[in-house]
Amino acid sequence: MTPSDDSGEPNGGQALVAEFVLGLLDSAEHARVGRLIENDQKLRAERDFWQARFGALNSGYEDVPVPAHLINTIEARVFGTPAKTRVNIWDNLLVWRGLAAGALAVAVVAVGINVLTPKPDTAALATQLVAALSEDGSNVKFVALYDSSTGKVRLTSLSGEAVPEHDFELWAIQGGNNPVSMGVVPVNARSEVVVSPDILKGWGEGSVLAITLEAKGGSADGNPHGPIVAKGPVTQI
Amino acid sequence: MVMQTPTQDIADLISRCALRDRAAFRSLYERTSAKLFGVTLRILKDRSEAEEAIQEVYVKIWQRADRYVAGGYSPISWLVAVARNHALDILRARRPVADDIDVALEIPDAGPDPERAAENSDERSRIDFCLGQLDGDKAEAVKGAYLDGYSYEELAEKYSVPLNTMRTWLRRSLLKLRECLTA
Repeated sequence: MTPSDDSGEPNGGQALVAEFVLGLLDSAEHARVGRLIENDQKLRAERDFWQARFGALNSGYEDVPVPAHLINTIEARVFGTPAKTRVNIWDNLLVWRGLAAGALAVAVVAVGINVLTPKPDTAALATQLVAALSEDGSNVKFVALYDSSTGKVRLTSLSGEAVPEHDFELWAIQGGNNPVSMGVVPVNARSEVVVSPDILKGWGEGSVLAITLEAKGGSADGNPHGPIVAKGPVTQI
Repeated sequence: MVMQTPTQDIADLISRCALRDRAAFRSLYERTSAKLFGVTLRILKDRSEAEEAIQEVYVKIWQRADRYVAGGYSPISWLVAVARNHALDILRARRPVADDIDVALEIPDAGPDPERAAENSDERSRIDFCLGQLDGDKAEAVKGAYLDGYSYEELAEKYSVPLNTMRTWLRRSLLKLRECLTA
């Protein structure tokens, strides 16, 4: 069914989803079409198609700084009155499971852009490891998530500032062995580190990840010299 | 070691908002609020209304962050859609309700390719190319509907054509656009 070129009125129904996405329908029609879309997989795909295509025009929106005072109002509305007891995110296993599932979902979305998305392997979740890296007296905090299906540790820096002329270096400590370097890691960014075969031999619950402050470029001789700014044991989730 | 892209950073911040991480919300706000304020301001065309709207938008983002993970949009597109839809809801509530008969929804035969749901520079040049296939006024009208949230009435006035002519124009243009985008 291709639209006839210029003969007569095109069937309104065929453009309805696009009109919905553009916001051209009146309130009653918008609500009606919205309900139909929610209940029909094909219509949802059609909506997502238009949303994504028109989304390519988003660069037409210019940045306009928001007045500085608004963030306080927004946070008050979002969080309610300041919480008296702050939930300790480090101790909450559900949070870690959610984080892992979220990370997996984000990874799947990223993959889905170019290739057929593989179904998320639920077994992969079972072999994920997590470590929260922190140290008293230091504001450097990282989260490390290991996924056995990729063999990589994904590191997210939660707080901490870069130190001039220095780099942070990640180490794996296993049993009584010397720490093994996993390379220099950035702060204020996320990164991925491949777990080398050496480390993989003893890898699992009981392994400890640590971050030290080393000279620019990392330790030259493969041993840590700087202070430990964050560390944490690896836990299965 | 591979550095993550800004897109993945934003996606990560949204995921952490779903986990009720307040620091992540603040970072997300700092990195995206200027863009989203640009959206609400352009559509609402009134500074105090846009300021009120941007507050609602971030409340919604916090409340709906868990839905992002399940979706297929690029994270910034998802955020822009939340802001844009909120601003359009405000406008729509003020506009008159037409006395239309319910039109049945139909989808043209060539279905969209769900694997190409992401927005990137290719998509930008693709939609620019396809808009370029329409007459100049019609391409501008489609863009105006998307970026400025113009209604049929506003578009009809802008291009000095009767309302029904504008509807026919635009619907026909959307079908042509769809043909080109799915080609």
